[in-house]
Amino acid sequence: MATPLIEVRSLKMYFPVGTSLFKKRKLLKAVDDVTFDLYPGETFGLVGESGCGKTTVGRTLVRLYQPTAGQILYRGSDIAPLDEKQVLPYRKKMQMIFQDPYASLNPRMTVSSIISEPMRLQGVAQEQITARVAELIEQVGLKKDHLNRYPHEFSGGQRQRIGIARSLAMHPEFIVCDEPISALDVSIQAQVINMLEELQSEMGITYLFISHDLSMVRHISQRVGVMYLGHLVELADTDELYSNMQHPYTQALMSAVPVADPDLAAQSNRIVLQGDVPQPIDPPAGCPFASRCRFCQNICKEQLPEVREISPGHLLACHVMGK
Amino acid sequence: MSKLLEVKNLTTSFRIGVGLVQAVRGISFHVDEGESIGIVGESGSGKSVTMLSVMGLLPDYADIKADSILFNGREMTAMNEKELRAMHGSEIGMIFQDPMTSLNPLFTVEQQLTESLKIHQGLKKQEARARALELLKLAEIPNPEARLKQYPHELSGGMRQRVMIAIAIACSPKMVIADEPTTALDVTIQAQILDLLNHLKQEMKTSIIMITHDLGVIASMCSRIQVMYGGTICEQGTAREIFYDPKHPYTWGLLNSIPKLTGDTNEKLIPIRGTPPDMLMPPKGCPFAPRCQYCMPVCREYMPPRTVLGDTHAVACHLMHPKAPKVLRREG
Repeated sequence: MATPLIEVRSLKMYFPVGTSLFKKRKLLKAVDDVTFDLYPGETFGLVGESGCGKTTVGRTLVRLYQPTAGQILYRGSDIAPLDEKQVLPYRKKMQMIFQDPYASLNPRMTVSSIISEPMRLQGVAQEQITARVAELIEQVGLKKDHLNRYPHEFSGGQRQRIGIARSLAMHPEFIVCDEPISALDVSIQAQVINMLEELQSEMGITYLFISHDLSMVRHISQRVGVMYLGHLVELADTDELYSNMQHPYTQALMSAVPVADPDLAAQSNRIVLQGDVPQPIDPPAGCPFASRCRFCQNICKEQLPEVREISPGHLLACHVMGK
Repeated sequence: MSKLLEVKNLTTSFRIGVGLVQAVRGISFHVDEGESIGIVGESGSGKSVTMLSVMGLLPDYADIKADSILFNGREMTAMNEKELRAMHGSEIGMIFQDPMTSLNPLFTVEQQLTESLKIHQGLKKQEARARALELLKLAEIPNPEARLKQYPHELSGGMRQRVMIAIAIACSPKMVIADEPTTALDVTIQAQILDLLNHLKQEMKTSIIMITHDLGVIASMCSRIQVMYGGTICEQGTAREIFYDPKHPYTWGLLNSIPKLTGDTNEKLIPIRGTPPDMLMPPKGCPFAPRCQYCMPVCREYMPPRTVLGDTHAVACHLMHPKAPKVLRREG
């Protein structure tokens, strides 16, 4: 395989929670020891339920957060310890598309100033900016006369296109798509997904596609990672993961997806998980999934499972499965 | 089976400053006893407004007109507010999308759960409490005694939705309307809630109207489906008819635009071009005409009539006219 664009090594992102003068502050372990690679031009899907840390991984990769520990090697150089100023050159290369197209566009800015903001921050000359903005707005399927309007004049799908145009402004190599379609209607989702795919094949952008929609992740990604409570529990090529999933959590997650096919839905053997996801504040020792796992054994409650490669490219963190 | 709810020619509009938003435009449907039907559509298609109109839960600036809304043999359009209120919660239960905003944060689970029992069934505090415990057990809530004393913020999203369900079924209603009951939940929790609803339906013989935009949820829950677009029903049929033999181009579009969990991963999604209509100024003819790839001149001028294809299957599309060209669905 090619050399990775980004190598994530033992990434940890802890947030202190609660304020107390005398007690030790508790730590919310949003991302705990996550390791994976992103290859140029690929789409890597990151799935999991709310609170599993998938968004935090995305935000930490583009250095919206300062990681607690671990390395983020971007083309070989570690950007994890850099400060705000030092990280600025990398910001050009790494962009983000947000979930909520209503909250992520400033309502007081025109479309044109929204799209040009990254260029102004990076000090691009004004003439170049104007030309580039006109080019971008057409690239995302909107018209030039939309440029002087404000976000409230657009529908959700159109707003998401504006957000995508903004992220493309500096010719990025890597885009974190954080639930880019979950706020959109079904018929609009496919429009945005097709556009992301076209942009990728034209410009060779690498995507980290964060979503809880497992069928859409299967459609768009070449490789998929499954997260649970801050840990990456399974990672494999899309076909391998969806046909030969090993981790009990992945199995439960997949079986819970409602299938849009009445006959298949009637046959499906749903693995219904009991209870809720535990709190990532002071999580229990051992496997994070142990409390809800149907194969749980004694070792699972005591020892955190190591990530093993069970077949080429298929990583698994489980004491029981995949042996 | 006898009809539990029958709605004839329902029209709902909202008077707002700049004009009239025609949210629902002349729809008719029925629900049999003990059956679950699904209403599927995008935001603004009128699916929620339809059910809120039936319940009489819309604000004053809404104009609701219907030839007839028969529930259990009684005409709801002739009822006054007091009679309607007596039906809410006792004969028809509702489950809303967001359990955080639909539960009152200032009252405990017990207070909210026993409210309708005291009002509708006149139970005393102790009896209501015993029944509340029973309901929480029915809704598969662990440790129900402790939950009764808790406030909504102390519960997780899935637990809150279970409490909502317990409230909805408190007086053993004949019909439960579930408006996007799992949209705010994670898939594994969604599976738990859908299982619970299926279980309750079988146990209590309740009819369920499931309003959702998720075709997957519909496929696993409902025996009959109606697809709504632009305030009209464009297609209705059994789940098998809608999923395996759809006739309306909008239904084709919906089915083509969702990826599948099995099969070829490289298939291209076929999106529906354009955006849904503005119901302040809905198109003159078929609401889907501006986005339809099979649109004919007649579609822009006249609303398509409802064509009955069988006992259960009906479509509102000009392509069903005997003289219309025969088109085939583009498969995804």
